[in-house]
Amino acid sequence: MALLEIDSLELEFGKGEDLVRAVDGVSLSIEEGETVCLVGESGSGKSVTALSIARLVPTPPARYPGGEILLEGKDVLKMSKRELRAIRGGVVSYVFQEPSAALNPVYRVGNQIMESLKLHRPKKANKNEVIRLLKLVGIPAPEARIRDYPHQMSGGMQQRVMIAMALASEPKLLIADEPTTALDVTIQAQILELLKELKERLSMSILFITHNLGIVGEIADRLHVMYRGKIVEAASAEEVLDKPKHPYTRALLECVPSLDKDVDRLAMIPEPEARGPEWD
Amino acid sequence: MWVFLIRRMLNTIPILLGVSLVTFFLMSMAPGGYLDTLSQNPQVSPETIARLKAQYNLDKPWYVQYFAWLKSAVRLDFGYSVQYQIAVTDLIGGRVWNTFVLSACAFVLAWLVAVPLGILAAVKRGSFVDRGSSVVAFAGLSIPEVLSALLALMFAAATKDSLGLPIGGAQSSLYDFMSPGDQFIDRVKHLILPVLVLASVEMAAIMRQMRSNLLDTLNAEYVTAARARGGGEFTVIVKHAVRTAINPLLTLLGYSLARLLSGAFIVENVMAWPGLGRLTMEAFFAKDYYLVVTTVVMAAGLLVVGNFIADVLLAWSDPRIRMEGKRS
Repeated sequence: MALLEIDSLELEFGKGEDLVRAVDGVSLSIEEGETVCLVGESGSGKSVTALSIARLVPTPPARYPGGEILLEGKDVLKMSKRELRAIRGGVVSYVFQEPSAALNPVYRVGNQIMESLKLHRPKKANKNEVIRLLKLVGIPAPEARIRDYPHQMSGGMQQRVMIAMALASEPKLLIADEPTTALDVTIQAQILELLKELKERLSMSILFITHNLGIVGEIADRLHVMYRGKIVEAASAEEVLDKPKHPYTRALLECVPSLDKDVDRLAMIPEPEARGPEWD
Repeated sequence: MWVFLIRRMLNTIPILLGVSLVTFFLMSMAPGGYLDTLSQNPQVSPETIARLKAQYNLDKPWYVQYFAWLKSAVRLDFGYSVQYQIAVTDLIGGRVWNTFVLSACAFVLAWLVAVPLGILAAVKRGSFVDRGSSVVAFAGLSIPEVLSALLALMFAAATKDSLGLPIGGAQSSLYDFMSPGDQFIDRVKHLILPVLVLASVEMAAIMRQMRSNLLDTLNAEYVTAARARGGGEFTVIVKHAVRTAINPLLTLLGYSLARLLSGAFIVENVMAWPGLGRLTMEAFFAKDYYLVVTTVVMAAGLLVVGNFIADVLLAWSDPRIRMEGKRS
């Protein structure tokens, strides 16, 4: 049994003429210990799909007209509030795009990590465990950093704290929603390296969401490309990167700048009007 | 934190100096004076007028008067009231207290009602509570205090037999003959309507602000992150959303005191509340220089203290402000 199995999931906002089907029959699965990438442009539905795994999309306004999300064999869409609270953090943890926005500015980082521990591993809810977690994600002098407020840390450090917080509850699946987008390139590489290393050490699965195909090859076992709420391509990472089938995937690949070629302008995804019939 | 407090405290001195200076200057620009009225009285001899003028420094230019006043003011002697013929300090003590009691009660009532109501309206957005409180808030914001104070007086008059609320004033005529317990009840009864009138605008403003702040923070990513950690809905809302939504409200607290004070001036005049506002108005009309300057400085002082408290609370509540200019 797969750790996560999403089967023809549908998600809608609004009604009548304003109806938007943000997720339109998405299926995807993640095995234990596997890293799966979900790639797509802004508004393609990748983030709401990821948030749906722990039912974090508020309903209303959103609705789930069809499909199911099986997490360890149980349908998340049918869970009670109590069951949901247990899987949030307990089975699935999230790392978000903007660490400065995802950390509460008025609490010390130690306090925020402790919150996760208290909820899911109350026996380990002590200072030593917080320090161990901060060490695990590579924060120097964690004994002092524990009393820092988020604004006293750099973006890279903040994202490490977010990861420590996500790991505090010992989840089986880590969902990283564009965790490196807000960071500069060298820090991006460090965070990616950290996630790869932690995955091996803690034998977790990772769902990695990005729109940067350049980093997919680094981390992914399998790759799903999402376009307008649908999965248009799903295969092993090498396969997609070598022989992309869907025009959107090809366009995305062309966007990755290369060091060998000298170009004046970077490639862009064509505007919707310029997209031919083979796109749909 | 101490540096912040001391720096902030020193900032208040030039403000108070500026306010007193401008008031003195403006008073000197206005034509006529209290002694002019007095000199029309055939029973007052020109010699008396001249003596009074010399006594109160009124024969000298305004800046000389100002510095003379300032010199004694730092020793907490604010000069004499020409109109009442007693020391300003003795005159305003009780008045400042009355205004303070009125504003403080309105302040506490407004915040105690508005904050929970704002939270409820934001959390239950679009519900009956939200819509109902919005309507009441808009009514509260749109009715000027002059009108609501008059309406309150009319209400007190209409329900005199059933509710027995006093129509204006701060105490009954028989106050001095009452037992201490009855005196207290009498004061509370007199407070009810002015406080309600004064609090209504404030309540509406704070409630709307609390609601919109909380709607912002409820959508913040750290609230989603807290929910994603498995926190209960109550903890998520109170610990993460409400806690951060309070910060902008603390900035409002300083303005809130300012608004209450100017509101109190109006309410005091309409509802015959013997506070600083009424005294200031009377002093203005009578051209009672030292009294005007002192009451204005006192009002500015209350304001400055209010802003100071708001700043300290904000620094205490928001680490980003407390640690300004300090990075580890």
